[in-house]
Amino acid sequence: MKNNILRKSLLAASVSALSVFSGSALAVDKTSDVDVSIILEGIFYNELSSGTATPAGFGEADHDGHDHGDTEEGHQHGFEEGFGLGHSELAIDAGLGELFDGRLLLGFDKSNVSVEEAWVKTRSLPAGLQLKFGKFLSDIGYVNSQHNHSWDFADRPLVNQYLFGEHGLQDVGLQATWQLPTESYTLVGIELLQGEGGILDPYAEQEDVFEEQDAGPRIITGFAKFGPDLGADHAVQVGASGGYASQYVSGYDKHFHGTEPHTTAQMGSSWFAGLDGVYKYSSGKAYGEGDLRLTSEYYYVERDLAQYSGEYHGHDIGTSSEEYHFEGSTKGTSYTEKQDGLYIEGIYGVMPRWQVGVRAEALGLVNKKWSGGHGANLESLDASYRYSGQVTWRPVEPVFLRTQFNHKDFSGSDGSSNEVIVQFNVALGAHGAHSF
Amino acid sequence: MRRFFILLALLLPIYGFSASFAVAAQPVTDAPNTQPVRVLVTTNSLGFLVAEIAASLIENKKLELKVLAAPGRDVHYLDARPSFIAAARRADLLIETGAGVEEGWLPVVVSSAANPAINEGRLGRLRVAEHLTLRQSITVTGPHAGHVHAAGNPHFNIDPLRMALASRVIARRLGDFFPDQRAELIKASFLLEKRLKDAAKKMAAQLIEGQRFIAYHEDVDYLEEWLPVINIGYLEPIPGLPPTSKHLRSLVEQHKGDALDREPKPRVIFAAFNPSQGADFLKNRLGWTTHPVPIEPEQPNWESYLKLMIIWTDAFDKKY
Repeated sequence: MKNNILRKSLLAASVSALSVFSGSALAVDKTSDVDVSIILEGIFYNELSSGTATPAGFGEADHDGHDHGDTEEGHQHGFEEGFGLGHSELAIDAGLGELFDGRLLLGFDKSNVSVEEAWVKTRSLPAGLQLKFGKFLSDIGYVNSQHNHSWDFADRPLVNQYLFGEHGLQDVGLQATWQLPTESYTLVGIELLQGEGGILDPYAEQEDVFEEQDAGPRIITGFAKFGPDLGADHAVQVGASGGYASQYVSGYDKHFHGTEPHTTAQMGSSWFAGLDGVYKYSSGKAYGEGDLRLTSEYYYVERDLAQYSGEYHGHDIGTSSEEYHFEGSTKGTSYTEKQDGLYIEGIYGVMPRWQVGVRAEALGLVNKKWSGGHGANLESLDASYRYSGQVTWRPVEPVFLRTQFNHKDFSGSDGSSNEVIVQFNVALGAHGAHSF
Repeated sequence: MRRFFILLALLLPIYGFSASFAVAAQPVTDAPNTQPVRVLVTTNSLGFLVAEIAASLIENKKLELKVLAAPGRDVHYLDARPSFIAAARRADLLIETGAGVEEGWLPVVVSSAANPAINEGRLGRLRVAEHLTLRQSITVTGPHAGHVHAAGNPHFNIDPLRMALASRVIARRLGDFFPDQRAELIKASFLLEKRLKDAAKKMAAQLIEGQRFIAYHEDVDYLEEWLPVINIGYLEPIPGLPPTSKHLRSLVEQHKGDALDREPKPRVIFAAFNPSQGADFLKNRLGWTTHPVPIEPEQPNWESYLKLMIIWTDAFDKKY
């Protein structure tokens, strides 16, 4: 029903606008422009030495198997030992005249396909305004809105993976941006996102329901980007972003003391804020020789939570027909979880078509996390680190072969680990222009 | 949730309306004391044409010219920089080379600029190559691995005769923005056309005819369109793919014989930003000379473009 309203108004708007375009002598027929591209990736992954797999405070394994909201995605992103298909994509970009740009992007591996992006973006609003709606990658930060074939490393930065998810912050919603008419690039934007129960806004399955899931949209984000003109050789963009998720339901646990049920969950809300920056030096030499790129992002997350416990009314206690009825939940002690993470990376074109890159990451420099159980105690966990180095060769523009080495020093009981990733990535078809 | 759909349902017809309105509105700029018309061009070559045709408008601050690509850069490989997007956001007219040369970055700049005035098909967007007859590209049906020169070889700025035609195209479009200046603009373009053609003719007459050259990329082969010279091949196997040793060896095989019997010897001419290894290979094997040349003027003006024409001509042997 709601969808019908949307569809009809969209159709009406398109028709009304198009009827005017067709009357204009200038209207060039470009309405059938469709670009299809396929990104195919092959991965060879080898764990040289194994250690702690999940950074303390950021995984599902650290609190007696409690679910911390890591959602199942349709296809694999972590690497399997040996060969893998990595993250391959089919992207279809199309325009509706000058009304909309649209994109459908399907991510797939050997057995699963999922819709990663499906959106339309306006390109005829006045005064520097743009709207985008559908499923899209949030424009917070820098790396979040990029696809992995344009990353400089085979894996997503830890801060993005563990604070926002395996796909970063990617959701269904509406984005509005305003580009100021200033000499320097200045963009501000907000996003209303449905909140798909990701890391930012988990919604735990509850046998005895403490709280129904809120009506969407459940996440709101805001961001600002600034990029001055620094001449031919240098370019820079800095940004700030933040967001709020109105519902956070996690750590649901039901167990029995004898036959008496005990149920707890943590509920509340979460917010985040971060800074990002990218600097590019362009040498002007062919095939990227001498080009330098430095990127860094920092994000901080707070979750204002309270420990809730279930209330049960018992019947015929002590008899064989003893039973308990769930009567609702009561709020216990409140507490605030705090976590953060950052990365800094540099990529340099050592010779034509060859790049080397290094990356240093920290996750949980602030790492205050609920310690589990019935209480509301917070524990301060250690930070995790990862150091990476890579060499990339681009024999031709749409093809690259990358070898990456990671040293993971994750906080936890199993110590540090080392891994090697070989990534082969090919862009087939009309591959569109890349963003900055 | 429902209120967002209601909001959307309200917004979309407004969007349709404002988009239609924006198309219907013609640029009215002859009112006194208006903002200057901001003309954004991708290269200094295009900037040079605008600067010459609209010199008095620029002087009177009625037209503001901005060039995106720095000279000496390969226009195929620029970043969609934030500063480019900011310039596109404010532009009234965007003039691009077209034919795919800016394909790697300009579409992102325009789609991010949130400026309907420069959308494709609008008065504020001019793709010069669409108005010219380009040299056939050797990869009209080629693979997508290299540059897509499907519309023809886009580097027409290396041919002053096509630049003369381009100046006419640009003058007519500028006339749409300055209706009261239309005659002056077109007259200025005629004068520029004559200057370009005269200079080309004079330089062509200086050269020993029939000199052969190999180009690195499918760009400086435009020299054979106005100089009495003959392009006999490319160092790149396909435009956009770097020279392979196999391809270079085949060029040497092919020209081993004819390098000896005819003077002057063929030469290799390439854009200064291209690596010189491929040219050096031919130099060592065949004794040809190599000539790295700039392919964009240093400044968007006549003097710089003329200097460029002289540099190109000087890459060949002269009669006297």
